[in-house]
Amino acid sequence: MSLSPAHESLFHAWLEEHRGIVVKVTRSYAFAAADAADLEQELLLQLWLSVPSYAGQAKPSTWIYRVCLNTALTWHHGTTRRERRIEPDRDLAAIAAHTASPADSADERELLEKLYAAIHAMPESDRALVLLMLDGLAYREIAEITGLTENHVGVALTRARKRLADRLKGVTDELE
Amino acid sequence: MNWNDYEAVWKRQKLPIGAAADLADIRATFELKRRKLESTLRVRYITDGVLGVLTALGFLGYAWWIGRAGWPIAIGAALILGVSWVFVRDHQRRRRHQVGPEATLLTKLDAEIAELHHQRRLLRHIGLWYFLPYLAAGVLISATVVHRLRIKPPPGLLVDLLTTPRSAIFIYLTVAIVVAGLWLVWRDARDAGKKRIDPRLQELEKMRRDLFGPADSLSD
Repeated sequence: MSLSPAHESLFHAWLEEHRGIVVKVTRSYAFAAADAADLEQELLLQLWLSVPSYAGQAKPSTWIYRVCLNTALTWHHGTTRRERRIEPDRDLAAIAAHTASPADSADERELLEKLYAAIHAMPESDRALVLLMLDGLAYREIAEITGLTENHVGVALTRARKRLADRLKGVTDELE
Repeated sequence: MNWNDYEAVWKRQKLPIGAAADLADIRATFELKRRKLESTLRVRYITDGVLGVLTALGFLGYAWWIGRAGWPIAIGAALILGVSWVFVRDHQRRRRHQVGPEATLLTKLDAEIAELHHQRRLLRHIGLWYFLPYLAAGVLISATVVHRLRIKPPPGLLVDLLTTPRSAIFIYLTVAIVVAGLWLVWRDARDAGKKRIDPRLQELEKMRRDLFGPADSLSD
């Protein structure tokens, strides 16, 4: 399947501006480096396929989040059995290692790694919400992506935020 | 550290910028996946639908050839066609109800849950729409053929066959193979439900409850 030049330039424009979304979803849902490459490729492919259906009815970022989270959800279920064989303690270190990105300080990098590791360890329902919340999306946008009502977004976010904070408590105590 | 610190670190993370994705790679991946999907669908259509249709057409031809006496064979062929129709209609239904990747999380979840419930229902009633029609078709067709060929076993033939070691082994083996085949299909259907569909359904329903239930019901 080939895209029209207009669609191809739209796809390029999306990536120019929002490639970070693809990367963050990949880092949040994939465990090993090989899985991350596989998921990122799948996300880009699904985004590419979704271009012709995009008629400007939603903000590009909202559209990209929807496509990426839905793809990650399906991809994640396809790999669930493999993930269950992963040893949590040993593999959290591996997750942290492959999610590492250059940051301002070693502490900050460590916190970011732990943050991704904590997101990995969360229930799937919370994972998507936390990702959207950390990216600073408004309740209305999160509602558009998830299909929840804005009120429900508030309730679910409060709970997810508490869960994430609980998971990170020990880690941040160490860093402080 | 508090939530604002997490947010700040999250927003400061370095991310690749620009359209680094190679369109040629994406096209190649898509082509590969499309070809794989098409060949899978082709094999499924052939095994699930076309083979049944061809078998039924063969029996219908035979029924037409022997004339009015062939009506039970025609019914048997219709039953075989019925099973193929269930398969083909289900493939079409699945394609029609497929949700695009841009749907909201709720729509996607609901569509997946509905699809899994449907598959579980199909497997639960496999005896009714799969085994029963094939069994009935088998009985109708063999009875008509036996009647048509005027095969009349001499009295005591079955007893003779069962007491002759070679023929007894052949008969028991044939019955055992048929029973084993049916049992394998039934076991596969049961395992698909228990090992693949049920766990995934539970996962998705839990996720839906967690996302859309009241705050107090969010489970850990």
